[in-house]
Amino acid sequence: MEKKRTITRRDFLRGTVYTAFTASFGSPLGKEAGAEEKVKVVLIRDENVIDQQGNIYQKIVRQMLDRAICELLGEEKPIQAWRRLIKLNDIVGIKSNFWFYLPTPLELEAAIQQRILDVGVPKKNIGIDDREVLNNPVFRSSTALINVRPLRTHFWSGIGGCIKNYIMFVSTPWLYHPDACSSLASIWNKPLVKGKTRLNILSLIRTQFWGRGPHYFDRRFVSDYRGLLIGKDPVALDAIGARLLQLQRIAYFGEDRPTDTTPKHIFVADEKYKLGVSDLRRIEVVKLGWTEGSLI
Amino acid sequence: MKNEVIISIFMVFGLLAVGGTPALSAEKDAEKMEMKRLLPLKVGSHESDRKDQFYDRKTTFRYMDGAAELYRSYGFKLLLVRRYLKTGHPPIIVELFDMGSPEDSFGVFSFETEGEDLGAGQGSDYGGGLLRFWKGKFFANIYAEQETPSTKQDVLEIGRAIANSIKHEGQKPKLIHYLPKEDFVERSVRYFHHHQGLNYQYFVSHENILRLGERTHAVFALYSLSETKIKTFLLLIQYPTQKLAKEAFQSFVKIYMPESTSSRVIQTENGRWTSAQFYQEYIIVVFDAPSKEKAEKLMEATKKKFEGRQ
Repeated sequence: MEKKRTITRRDFLRGTVYTAFTASFGSPLGKEAGAEEKVKVVLIRDENVIDQQGNIYQKIVRQMLDRAICELLGEEKPIQAWRRLIKLNDIVGIKSNFWFYLPTPLELEAAIQQRILDVGVPKKNIGIDDREVLNNPVFRSSTALINVRPLRTHFWSGIGGCIKNYIMFVSTPWLYHPDACSSLASIWNKPLVKGKTRLNILSLIRTQFWGRGPHYFDRRFVSDYRGLLIGKDPVALDAIGARLLQLQRIAYFGEDRPTDTTPKHIFVADEKYKLGVSDLRRIEVVKLGWTEGSLI
Repeated sequence: MKNEVIISIFMVFGLLAVGGTPALSAEKDAEKMEMKRLLPLKVGSHESDRKDQFYDRKTTFRYMDGAAELYRSYGFKLLLVRRYLKTGHPPIIVELFDMGSPEDSFGVFSFETEGEDLGAGQGSDYGGGLLRFWKGKFFANIYAEQETPSTKQDVLEIGRAIANSIKHEGQKPKLIHYLPKEDFVERSVRYFHHHQGLNYQYFVSHENILRLGERTHAVFALYSLSETKIKTFLLLIQYPTQKLAKEAFQSFVKIYMPESTSSRVIQTENGRWTSAQFYQEYIIVVFDAPSKEKAEKLMEATKKKFEGRQ
């Protein structure tokens, strides 16, 4: 049995930390990874999704979502794509994120809900929630979940992404915080959640790439990236998301300023819980729309 | 028989009053009232919306998600959230935390002092539209929902009013007094209990190799050494017993500086120097000194401070 290795600052200094548990994290995107199948994710950006007053433009969000999901599933029309994800008789929970400083944009929640309604799911069978999912009857009886949240850095887990967004499906979230939240992916095996997630969406309309302090939020370190990242694999989305935040920090600070917590849970989700793919070399990012400053 | 019943009833009520739920509830209600009194209903043109919310150690997660862990890593007891409204201006949010002790109030405050001290409470920090201050056992965050040109003035006005209504000041953690003053960057000092607190300031290891926890007290400070201006860090940890300090020291040396000799000074991969020693129930670690001599000098200066107290 392999002995568990303790990672210290000195591993970072000598550059060996990646071989310890983050082998793929620093790998450039697009580098060949052999014959293994790649996971597809779609990045779509639109310069006009945020207007000059800082408001998010509802119509453009809807267009971005439609175009991205068509690309992801190889369908021509959004409704065809959504029908492959959601059935008429599904009870659908849209697991959002209400964090005060940087919540999931209401415009994005509305766009998702509208497409599920378009499939023919009655409104009473659709719920949008975050912190009360355990008490929400739609979520308690759900047959399908859509996972949507903004991408940001996070003190305890390195990043707040798709994997972490399900932490409210447990009644004792704080028990998942030790060891950089490495066991977060285990939540995805809980009966209330397991096998139900049809789509994951990371809102990159605004991203928080760096932050200090108790609330881990600082407007100076929020970027209007104006994008959405969507896919079926939450680990792949988070791996790309973590890489994007890293590149945004480099662009902003002129150096690779490490976060205080390595987003170890993404790799553990892959290696231990087999929830998805974290190796950037095995993720195909299809890019649509505005490309200026895309970084990835 | 009747007397026995009466006595039993009194005993039950007596027990509840001492340690049962109603007493605890009453205590909590009293704490809530105390905190409400600290927040004026009106400050200048800003008025409370009179929809105060309280959160304790268990429920605060619902309010602030994982950020609550920071407060829970200290002795946080109760949070009061109040919104102040003013026509034509974005609401201002006040979060007042009862941290249980001045030491832990200072500890939470010390987590981030990169902004400007605006002179509220016993220490304040303003940046990005957020004012933070500590006074006595209370710590406060004050910020506007949207930043406007008047945000700084508004949050400061409210912050100062609250700070003035907190009558009792408190002492910083005693451990701070053992930090040598030469080259010391005063606003850099951090106080915490858990290893996540250390890693937030200076990543040492993803595992708790210094065996920090609820019962340990740690301070971490920056030294900008005179000639070089190279950032050097000093970590002091106090353990409940000398035995625990020794065990933690052995764990740290074994994992972090396995090549060290009895001098416990090593050169790390960035060309800087790390030195570690334990003294009674304390551990002292110097990180990133520019030379072996500088590391040893800071270590000696710290030990002298400890010895000076005896």
